Amino acid sequence: MAVATDTEITVPRSLFGFRMREGLTGYTFVVLPMAVFGIFFLYPFAYAIYISFFDWGILGKNHSVGFDNYRELWHDAIFHRAIKNTLLYTVAVVPLEMALGLCVALIVNASIRGKTFFRAAFYFPSLASSVAITTIAVYLLSSDGLLNAIVGGNRSWFSDEKTALWSIVGLNAWTTSGTIMLFYLAALQAIPTDVYEAAAIDGTSGWRTFWRITFPLLRPAHFFVLVVFGVGALKIFDQAFLVSGGTGGPNYATYTAVLYIYLHAFKSFQFGLAAAAGVVLFVVIFIFTLVQRATIGRAEIG
Amino acid sequence: MRKASALLLALAAVSVALLAATAQAKTKAAKVTTVSLSGWSAGADEDNLLQQVVNTFEKSHPSIKVDYSVINGDYSTAMTARFAAHNPPDIFYVDSSLAPTWAQQGVLQPLDSYIKSSKYNTKAFFPSLLATFKVGGKTYGFPKDWSPLAMEINTAMLSQAKAKAPKTWDQLQSTAQAMATQGVVPGGKPICLSADWARLLPFLFQNRASLATVQSPAATAAVNFYVGLINKGLAATPDKLGSGWCGEALGKGKAAIAFEGNWIMPFMKQTYPTVHYGVFPMVKNKTGGNLAFTVSYSMAKDAKDKQAAWTLLSWLTGPQGMKLWVSKGLALPSRSDVKAIGGRAAFLSAAPYARGWGFPNFSNTYTVMNNSLTAVINGGKTVSQMLAEVAASLKG
Repeated sequence: MAVATDTEITVPRSLFGFRMREGLTGYTFVVLPMAVFGIFFLYPFAYAIYISFFDWGILGKNHSVGFDNYRELWHDAIFHRAIKNTLLYTVAVVPLEMALGLCVALIVNASIRGKTFFRAAFYFPSLASSVAITTIAVYLLSSDGLLNAIVGGNRSWFSDEKTALWSIVGLNAWTTSGTIMLFYLAALQAIPTDVYEAAAIDGTSGWRTFWRITFPLLRPAHFFVLVVFGVGALKIFDQAFLVSGGTGGPNYATYTAVLYIYLHAFKSFQFGLAAAAGVVLFVVIFIFTLVQRATIGRAEIG
Repeated sequence: MRKASALLLALAAVSVALLAATAQAKTKAAKVTTVSLSGWSAGADEDNLLQQVVNTFEKSHPSIKVDYSVINGDYSTAMTARFAAHNPPDIFYVDSSLAPTWAQQGVLQPLDSYIKSSKYNTKAFFPSLLATFKVGGKTYGFPKDWSPLAMEINTAMLSQAKAKAPKTWDQLQSTAQAMATQGVVPGGKPICLSADWARLLPFLFQNRASLATVQSPAATAAVNFYVGLINKGLAATPDKLGSGWCGEALGKGKAAIAFEGNWIMPFMKQTYPTVHYGVFPMVKNKTGGNLAFTVSYSMAKDAKDKQAAWTLLSWLTGPQGMKLWVSKGLALPSRSDVKAIGGRAAFLSAAPYARGWGFPNFSNTYTVMNNSLTAVINGGKTVSQMLAEVAASLKG
């Protein structure tokens, strides 16, 4: 019997060698999306930072103002309120929608009858246009709307400054939980079943199984959901705009950071100030992401 | 060979003749300029009416073709994008609240030289409406129509309370009191008052105050009267009456009295045709006071053929164009030499007292105004705090 000897394949280092060609192929595939990314994200982002140092009107820059726009934001009580509302909203909505998504994912992961139907039903609100849902919600939550018919009373939920922001929290938690359910469902199904078998042999109860085994094993999913949907929550605009008719709600209750940027750019034509507010919001989001990474993102699967 | 060259020569001659003919036709056609006209849509009725007006103009001005298009969606944002691209429509609507801002941004064409050279008669316009579109002594547009606020009252509820239509603040309060005592508005309140300075400001005017004197005792007293009606249980904001605005509250029967403009009439006719209501002049106190919601036709600084655009603008706001535009009663004429259609006396009586709706730093100040007024109505802020914030925002 002939014994096959291992022969080493040496990769030539010439310009059109195999490795170089492979690299070149890779870059060719990537150059188009990178160009789109550069033109539609990097360039406007850099340009917005540039704009924030000017007094910029409809027809372009008027004159340079240095850091005056940032100084104005520092002293603007309305901007402080906008950031506060945005942070309050995020801190309320993200845990709520994660919990809802996880609960629903656990339910439809179990072998129950009609789970395909339930998966579709829970996901459906995420598909509908947020503008359409919000417009209908304004009617449902009005003083003679459906919600009051169920819970009683006659308060207009979106027009009362105590309940306006929390009503938006509830509405968005419900619509977003469907998408989060999908992520948790995928992560749950990636957990190997022998872990549960071992737990069953040890005799752990259902709740302990969930809390001590399932929940920690979902850490990568937690991190992903927290970052992606946390960043999304910090950029809330549609609901705040529609519910308040563009004014920022009863006594600034629904005045969010992106609404501040929108109103100052497109209604007051103060593009420099709006760009500065955008930069500040970016810094807030960046810090938020860094904190997530430091606390939760440390451990990956392994 | 000879036959072929003769054929070629004939072909050449024919093509030269054709070219000459088309060239001549082209120079004749080149004399027609196109002017673009844009505005927002206030309903299919208005759009069709404006198209008819434009067609009449084209018939009498064969050398000018008008390209009318409606801008749907957020008008101000769409126009901003077109201004920035230096490709705006030649003539377009400008709301009185936006006129000073757009003039300052340098996107509107001052019209004074055209007024002088064409000897356009501006005396026929109501002075307060004309003044709304003058910024820094220059004219930036002419009002195409206007509407003040009037008082709309549900006639059935009024007669049930055995009351007459009020004319003064005291009468307004006593009529509302009579309605409340006799329970004439079940599940609602006698008066619908919006948490909106576009409805509160006329009351300041009626008490001889204004935005220039917004922190005076007269202004404070006017705001206290307005908010006082709500605190006394005689009035409520639309959201407490299950409505988006006071017109809807009137239609739903949740309020007997509303203060709205000309636009309530087509709305009520379409949405709540069975509700009988009367239109009465706005109340007075020390004097009459009202707001004029008006829109101008203005010319873009980047308009291509400014002379042709001016011809269109001056015709649309002149006696002929305006007469056609107000013929359906969708708005009131802003010229005294054009008659409004019947049934609008209550609105027209406001002409001497109406001031244009608009002020400096409009968008920021309007946000501050309405959020603060909501806080005052809900009891979270005092009237003097709100007036101080408004005064500060008007300066900034």
